[in-house]
Amino acid sequence: MANRFQKSVPLMMILPGLALALAIIGYPIFDLAWTSMQDVSRFGKLTGFNGGENYHEVFADPLFWESLWRTGIWTFAVVGGTLAISMPVAMILNDDFHGRGLARVIIMLPWAISLTMTAVVWRWALNGRAGLLNATLMNAGIIDQPVEWLATASTAFVVEILVGILVSIPFTTTILLGGLSSMPQDAYEAAVVDGASGWDQFRHITLPLMKPFINIAIVLNVIYVFNSLPIIWVMTEGGPANGTDILVTYLYKLAFRFGQLGKAAAISLVMFFVLLAFTMLYVALVSRNDRDDAAPEEEIKA
Amino acid sequence: MTHPFRTSTAVLALSLGMAGLASAETVVDFTVAEYSSKTGPYFQEVADAFQAENPDIKINIEVVPWDTLLQRLTTDVAGGSAPDISIIGTRWLLDFASQGVAEPIDGYLTPEFKGTFIDTFMAPGVIEGQTMGLPVAASARAMMVNMDLYEKAGATPPKTWDELYEASKKIAALPETFAFGLQGKEIETDAYYYYSLWTHGGDILKADGTSGLDTPEALEAANLYKKMIDEGLTQPSPTNYTREDVFNLFKQGKVGTIFTFPMLIPQIKAEAPDLKYQILPFPEGKAKATYGVTDTLMVFADSDAKEAAWKFIEFAYKDEWREKFDMGEGFLPVTKNVAALPYFTEDPDVAGFAAGLPYAKFAPTIANWEEIADVTVRTMQQIYLGEVTPEDGLKAAASEINKIRGL
Repeated sequence: MANRFQKSVPLMMILPGLALALAIIGYPIFDLAWTSMQDVSRFGKLTGFNGGENYHEVFADPLFWESLWRTGIWTFAVVGGTLAISMPVAMILNDDFHGRGLARVIIMLPWAISLTMTAVVWRWALNGRAGLLNATLMNAGIIDQPVEWLATASTAFVVEILVGILVSIPFTTTILLGGLSSMPQDAYEAAVVDGASGWDQFRHITLPLMKPFINIAIVLNVIYVFNSLPIIWVMTEGGPANGTDILVTYLYKLAFRFGQLGKAAAISLVMFFVLLAFTMLYVALVSRNDRDDAAPEEEIKA
Repeated sequence: MTHPFRTSTAVLALSLGMAGLASAETVVDFTVAEYSSKTGPYFQEVADAFQAENPDIKINIEVVPWDTLLQRLTTDVAGGSAPDISIIGTRWLLDFASQGVAEPIDGYLTPEFKGTFIDTFMAPGVIEGQTMGLPVAASARAMMVNMDLYEKAGATPPKTWDELYEASKKIAALPETFAFGLQGKEIETDAYYYYSLWTHGGDILKADGTSGLDTPEALEAANLYKKMIDEGLTQPSPTNYTREDVFNLFKQGKVGTIFTFPMLIPQIKAEAPDLKYQILPFPEGKAKATYGVTDTLMVFADSDAKEAAWKFIEFAYKDEWREKFDMGEGFLPVTKNVAALPYFTEDPDVAGFAAGLPYAKFAPTIANWEEIADVTVRTMQQIYLGEVTPEDGLKAAASEINKIRGL
């Protein structure tokens, strides 16, 4: 009896916190789910239960599927590109060199500027006639005619992905830099003595030890990027011809331009479950890998 | 977010106080959209003059910026503290009317008072045969040409689309110059197409309520823009040019012809004072047309001071007040007497825009209008980019719009 009581003490102690978290996180989701099954007036008034009507409309909408597909490309490209650039940047910044402090500040600076402002600046820079980018490229002799970067969906989307990568670098570099600076130096020294090349060190020491940091960078970045509105919204509003719409820009249009709050709520919920599924899947994959890695050690111990 | 509460408390306290002082006094709450810094003082002046004549009525003016107006009114309606009358965007009127928030005003509208308005501006306020609001502000669109470029190219300002096309060919031959500024990005990309649609004799909706985009007129209108893009008569890649981008090219003197609104004139006077421009009606195809945009004065259905409010409305629509309002804010007149004033017929800029009013067309007051406009924008962008032929694109757009309309 006493044992059972003792066991439940920790549970009871986290209960208030858990309840609070559930209320704060759970209630909006519950409200969203409830709204998504209603007819909603433009003024946000629920006018009647309609079952799966909103979901039916969303899933029958080709723009939804196009946006979903593009959201996948957008998230994968931005997160992948960010990691591919942030890793070497973090390693360079981790080395001791003259002016490292300044270099670190410069890498972090873009973080201090709001996403929307960055996007506005890029929108100007990418302007076909008056933009800085075309002027620079033409002066350098790389192009002889101004390129209208945002005029077609294909170039606009690529440019938006590049800007997405650019703004994600400071955050990712910070996480990776934190990981690198906590790494034991003796492992590298031992490797050098054994004649390991720089690539070998990276492949067999840095990458495995950095795994938890890379994983957290991936999960957090996927969540941020998947939900990121400002870059695409400011630069093209999902246009031209919906060619750069991702789920969140499409959702924004539905809710605040067309006043279809029910459909918008349905898409929000779909987005929530996509992210939830991704995170759970990823965490499951990572922990299974860790167990596989750990298994041989246990055998040795045994 | 404390504002609505504070205001309603203040209003309550005020009306209680008033009731105590003079029990006969009626309070009319009037929410005014802020067009400029002149709007608030102007309406206060009207209210003061009205109260001097009608001491038993108190007009309570509240000025709200456009950006927050809809949200503010929505909150007020939901909280049961709606004003008695308010200025609103005409595009919201259908929502207010269909939710029973707007009061039909046919019962108050005497034939004499109704006769003071220009008929075209009354039309957007009529929903299912009932007048739901009065036009309070109006603007119209027109063509603007750069006279220096036209002279340099030896072209005359056009009256028809054929003339515009011929003149554009000459202007496009000038170095570093685009003949026709075509908008293809973001807000009002569809309006730029409607200009062509209407003047080619088409319309957004057919008489039976279905989309007018699958008509021969609509196709002709789209084909013309596409031809001008393909022949290099517009600026390259219109889908990267918003309304402001096109206007900026014009201010820089790089574009021969654009379609624009009156608010551009003060901008040009400030930023490009040397630009020689002229305001002309839209080029004609089969019809004369311009795009009219209005704001509406609406009476709230649950107002308990409708009689007093209406008395004030009639007072505020007297010629002297309307003249002051339209001139101060730079709008076009909505009443016949003001429209006949020399300022509105003789000033070449104002007259150029005002000339189109008798045949102005409006965005239809229908449900899901924003979504329908978005379909049109998307289709135009696909056509301008060459992703679909004008014929296929317009047909698909028409059937999509009909689906949204439930037809």
